[in-house]
Amino acid sequence: MSPAQPAAGFPDREHDNLVLEPRDVQFDWSRLPMHWIPGEPMATHTINVLHLLLPEGERWFVRVFKQALPLITDYRLREDVLGFIGQEAIHAEAHQGVVDHLLAKGLDPGPYLRQVEWLFHRVLGDRPEFSEERARQHVVERVAVIAAIEHFTAFLGDWVLNAHALDEAGSDPVMLDLLRWHGAEEVEHRSVAYDLLTHLDPGYVRRIRALGIALPVLLGLWVRGARFLMGADPQPAGRQRKATWRGYLAASRRGLVPGLGTGLRSATRYLKRGYHPTQEGSTRQAIAYLATSPAARAAH
Amino acid sequence: MSSPPLDLYGRPRADRFMRALTAFGDTYIPFSTRPCRRRTPAARTTPPLNLVVAARRTEADGVVSLRLAAPDGTRLPAWQPGAHLDLQLPSGRRRQYSLCGDPADRTAYRIAVRRIETGGGGSVEVHDDLPEGTRLTVKGPRNAFPFAAEPRVLLIAGGIGITPLLPMAREAARLGLDWRLVHTGRSRATLPFTDELRQLRGPVEILADDEHGIPDASDLLSRAQAGAAVYACGPGPMLDGVRAAFDDSPAAGLHFERFAPAPIRDGRPFELQLARSGRTLTVPADRSALDVLSEAVPAAAYSCRQGFCGVCRQRVLAGPVEHRDRRLTDAERTAGEMLVCVSRAPEGERLVLDL
Repeated sequence: MSPAQPAAGFPDREHDNLVLEPRDVQFDWSRLPMHWIPGEPMATHTINVLHLLLPEGERWFVRVFKQALPLITDYRLREDVLGFIGQEAIHAEAHQGVVDHLLAKGLDPGPYLRQVEWLFHRVLGDRPEFSEERARQHVVERVAVIAAIEHFTAFLGDWVLNAHALDEAGSDPVMLDLLRWHGAEEVEHRSVAYDLLTHLDPGYVRRIRALGIALPVLLGLWVRGARFLMGADPQPAGRQRKATWRGYLAASRRGLVPGLGTGLRSATRYLKRGYHPTQEGSTRQAIAYLATSPAARAAH
Repeated sequence: MSSPPLDLYGRPRADRFMRALTAFGDTYIPFSTRPCRRRTPAARTTPPLNLVVAARRTEADGVVSLRLAAPDGTRLPAWQPGAHLDLQLPSGRRRQYSLCGDPADRTAYRIAVRRIETGGGGSVEVHDDLPEGTRLTVKGPRNAFPFAAEPRVLLIAGGIGITPLLPMAREAARLGLDWRLVHTGRSRATLPFTDELRQLRGPVEILADDEHGIPDASDLLSRAQAGAAVYACGPGPMLDGVRAAFDDSPAAGLHFERFAPAPIRDGRPFELQLARSGRTLTVPADRSALDVLSEAVPAAAYSCRQGFCGVCRQRVLAGPVEHRDRRLTDAERTAGEMLVCVSRAPEGERLVLDL
């Protein structure tokens, strides 16, 4: 599948031809504290934005990819896409569990969730008035946006698999396992959306303009989400009561949240003509983590 | 949802960011979906491989290995330890077999098959009806059991389960990992590749039931180094034992191949009717509704095929559903949703799907 020639010599060579399968994971949130990175509400809520964005976002991925299935003419890519869809469907439900827990703890994410819902159903949803050809183009355009987003989810997955500062800070182990199980599957399936896009439209223009849309929107949603969660937190801790850039930068310097600079540098790599997702992150590390993840190991 | 949602902080107006995104989408999407004048080039496809049985060899009692090569000797696609091939046998049966040769040998793939008289007939066909020179259509290689080459590795093979682990052992030896392998089986005569394992000059242990008794999973796992990754492949009961005993072992990681869904239990034949086309499909007792549906509607999506991911959901307009999934809520079931990968209907009933 990969147009990029992998380097010779395992294990430096990335795994290819992986069979992707969803894992039936379960998480018990009954003991999750509100600030699951102890004493770090800013870092906690910066990461919590994911729980609000991902359920609706990943369900949207599933809807779009289901519509893309009839357009796929390659049986391997089709298998990859089916595996991808199953993994994304499980991710959405796993994060939904955290949202339900936040609500039970007195943080009402409703206003933000309604916006996320509007975005993925109305702004990016199907347009029934479209002709068949336009509907097809609309699917490809959204696949391009998903491929750009998947570049960042793989970046984040790679980040969280290596974020030792989260362990050192005493983060809740169940939450860390959720983030790393999810991150590992994002790394594991990071090529699928990109390979689907190049299958449907190998051009450079659509890929790049989709990045141009996905990046600022994601950043905007993230900043707004962190501000919203800090404001809605029923247990504001100490001096950190409002989301601030200073608070974010301090947390990122300590390795508790991904750095803005590394994220933006990663975005520039997506611009390269010879880009392929296998160049980012390590499948080997992802599958090694999945073998140790309590949730993934307990799954069927 | 007819107007953008309200501001995040309770101000009584539509949220500005949402209004802007909506306006942008309503302009951008019609623009970006204009029918394009330039046709997109035909998409790349991976053709299946046409291979020939280049050599056969008896590896142990009841185990034969096949070397599969391209008829013109061209190089085959690369693979990594743990990968398997999907063979289309002359009878039409499809079977997956792990690659057990050397990944560096790009001229042929090697698979090994144990004859199982009571199985579905695939292994008997490989043993009896695939002489040298037989042509086969093969998909693959694909890898559902990747080797992550952790620093400390214990490989546990039960019988023919050695096939994916043999290339892993070779890889581990080549990389200088701290590795161990234990191969269990009924008797020494039934265990393939003993010589090849011995040539690795590593810590390989052969445990034959008729000499050492049937091994116990926690005993097998006790061979793991602290923090090791265990790779296990073998019969179902052995894997279940390893999984159950894993938490009390010194190992940290467990890899095993996730096989296709469990066979259908207590299935009865029933019918599916597709409301829009009016077609009626018969689901036999031993097949899932999804299998039958996929043949008629190739674009029907599915993923886990075990009733937990929810991707294959369909809306049932009429008929009594026998729900067998672990995913749908009562409300979803009441609303007529069904996961066709596992759920069925009572004998002779008909389910009308919104398709």
